[in-house]
Amino acid sequence: MKMEKLKVLSTDEIELIHSASMELLSTVGIKIDAPDVRELLQEKGAINNDNTKFVKFPENFIEEQIKKVPSSFKLHGPDGSFNFEVNTHDTIFATIGTPIKIYDPEKKSGIRKSLLDDTIKQIRVVDSLKNIVCSHVDVWPGDIQFTTIHARCIYEWAKNTKKPYGLGVYGKLASTDMMNMVSIVVGGNDELINRPRLVGFFNPTSPLHLPQIMTNGLQIFAKYKQPTIIAPEALAGSSAPVTLAGLLAQTNAEILGGVILAQIINPGAPIFYGTVSHITDMRSGNSAIGSIETGLITAGIAQLARFYNIPSRGPGLVTDSKCFDLQNGFERFQTLLLAAQAGINYITCAGTYEATLVEALELLVIDDELAGMVKRAIEGITVNEDTIGLETIKKVATNEKPGATFLAEKHTRKHMKQELYMPIHKLINRNRRSTWRKKGSKDIIASAREKVEEILRDYNPPELSQDIDSELQEYIKKVEERTINDYMKAEGMTSGSVSLPGTDISIKET
Amino acid sequence: MSLEEQVKELVEKWDEDGLKNLCRSVLDNQEASAEELLEIIGNLMKYIGSQFENEDIFLPDLIGAAGVVKIAIDDVLDPVIRASGSEKKTLGKIVIGTVESDVHSIGKDLVASFLFSNGFDVYNLGVEVTPDEFINKAEEVGAKIIGMSSLLTMSMDFQRQVIEELNKRGLREKYKVIVGGAPTTEEWAEQIGADGWADDAIETVILVKKLIE
Repeated sequence: MKMEKLKVLSTDEIELIHSASMELLSTVGIKIDAPDVRELLQEKGAINNDNTKFVKFPENFIEEQIKKVPSSFKLHGPDGSFNFEVNTHDTIFATIGTPIKIYDPEKKSGIRKSLLDDTIKQIRVVDSLKNIVCSHVDVWPGDIQFTTIHARCIYEWAKNTKKPYGLGVYGKLASTDMMNMVSIVVGGNDELINRPRLVGFFNPTSPLHLPQIMTNGLQIFAKYKQPTIIAPEALAGSSAPVTLAGLLAQTNAEILGGVILAQIINPGAPIFYGTVSHITDMRSGNSAIGSIETGLITAGIAQLARFYNIPSRGPGLVTDSKCFDLQNGFERFQTLLLAAQAGINYITCAGTYEATLVEALELLVIDDELAGMVKRAIEGITVNEDTIGLETIKKVATNEKPGATFLAEKHTRKHMKQELYMPIHKLINRNRRSTWRKKGSKDIIASAREKVEEILRDYNPPELSQDIDSELQEYIKKVEERTINDYMKAEGMTSGSVSLPGTDISIKET
Repeated sequence: MSLEEQVKELVEKWDEDGLKNLCRSVLDNQEASAEELLEIIGNLMKYIGSQFENEDIFLPDLIGAAGVVKIAIDDVLDPVIRASGSEKKTLGKIVIGTVESDVHSIGKDLVASFLFSNGFDVYNLGVEVTPDEFINKAEEVGAKIIGMSSLLTMSMDFQRQVIEELNKRGLREKYKVIVGGAPTTEEWAEQIGADGWADDAIETVILVKKLIE
């Protein structure tokens, strides 16, 4: 049978958490900055308070909205040739993170600021991998003007991969640019809506707050039916209760808030019920995404997502380590394995370390292998007459030739590739020491580096027509002409700050 | 499909009977001689060996293919060649086995398959092979090389005993003796007076080729 799903909540406990979230949503509500969004929700039956900016949701209203969420959807690459389904029962793997630095063995510190060239390389490497199905704006192009990054990234995505892409739903204007540009690539809005290309990330701010920039962007993503991940990054003990049950109740309310909003904007808008929540380290106050509790929280979220019949997204392959040490290895694997065992449908963060702030393409390739291993684990053990292989056991055991093994048996050959995970990148070293030494005594990072070099050397970019290319470049020029104030105006924000990793932009009201 | 392609398909499918039948019908219809078939099979095994070396295929693929081919050669081609009064072309005959008190066969089987796929005529005696069995077989088939495997430190000393037995019988100079297996080393080989040591299957082929020259 397939591996049974890991459970950290009983059915009664799921009900308790659900009830607690319902109470939060109906009695406290969610703080929503955007007045137009509050108004829209009020029109549809929510209870708005313009003074507090909190919107309360009656329970039956919530349940009605949840019913509209699709339990599966497909994502496509630029030309549509590559696609995958996201549903509530399979597990697939992707990137996502916020790396602003990238591993560089030539630097004394081992890292440097990431640049557009790195962004492109990451997209290309993901395109070449087997188990990592989607890249996102992971590697921050630190050399590109902040206000044009989304446009440049869409352009490079269209030119460098056959897989879908993801971006933060940062505002109406930028999200509209994304839709317009991708429509140029795929041949129109209808094609984009019918066969989605983009994954949006929508991060509620814990506790119980949906910021304006995010709800603005969600309006566009939902309108175009681009699957959007609603994933709070609550930290147990600081932005959520220290108790994991409390964190689940609170973040469930936050996620449902996003889910409701998306369904109100466009009923049937595809959603990932998501999490990146983890804990606060009680000594330093730092977040600890590689903690064992991350896996527990993620497992709880997987169960809640199934309770609502919505595809789930959770982090795996995450670590707080700053180098390629054992901590890096065990944290990325423990978070991955727990997420997979719990049945998270879209496991993300491949290729990252240092709480996803740093990228290593080497890790990306290793993570592709780990994902393959975990997929094998989920398959469990197949038991039937053929797999028990009684005849083969009898044959080998009673073979008159001494030292007979199962190696040359047809049974072995027939089943080996299904039964045994065959490492795809030749990174995992199972040689004897002498052979390993002969081949240069390489550790897995060195082997992975060679693999990355090979991928990038052999890479053949997909074809993008000259017309589309020019049209996209024209579009980017328009985006480049805008100022940060144009964005603030478009988002209806006269002051505030945009805080992204490595970028803090504050606009004071004039 | 060319004859080469037919042979390749049957070998890759591990179809022993199919391969034997093909060889028989080719010989009956005089489409090719036994020597020509042997050459086709030899080239195929070299190709399969190189695939294994490049990690494009897996251990069972190599050992299985070698097993299928060996049966066709022993049952069909070799008798025909012998009947014509000649002997099949080979780079050399090798007797190989795991020494007494040791039942480990995987590494030794891999070495045997790899030697075979590289054109050697291999007599794989299995495991727990006594000094007498090694020497008698070598004498019987006219081998040039005796290869001994050992995976246990406890069984290593039996490699020395085979050499001592060869000395006792005055046959030491007649054979090149090679040893291998996880606990063995080049120093060990020297210490017991073997002619060579190899670390893995690929190196064994290189070593054996050098010794035979």
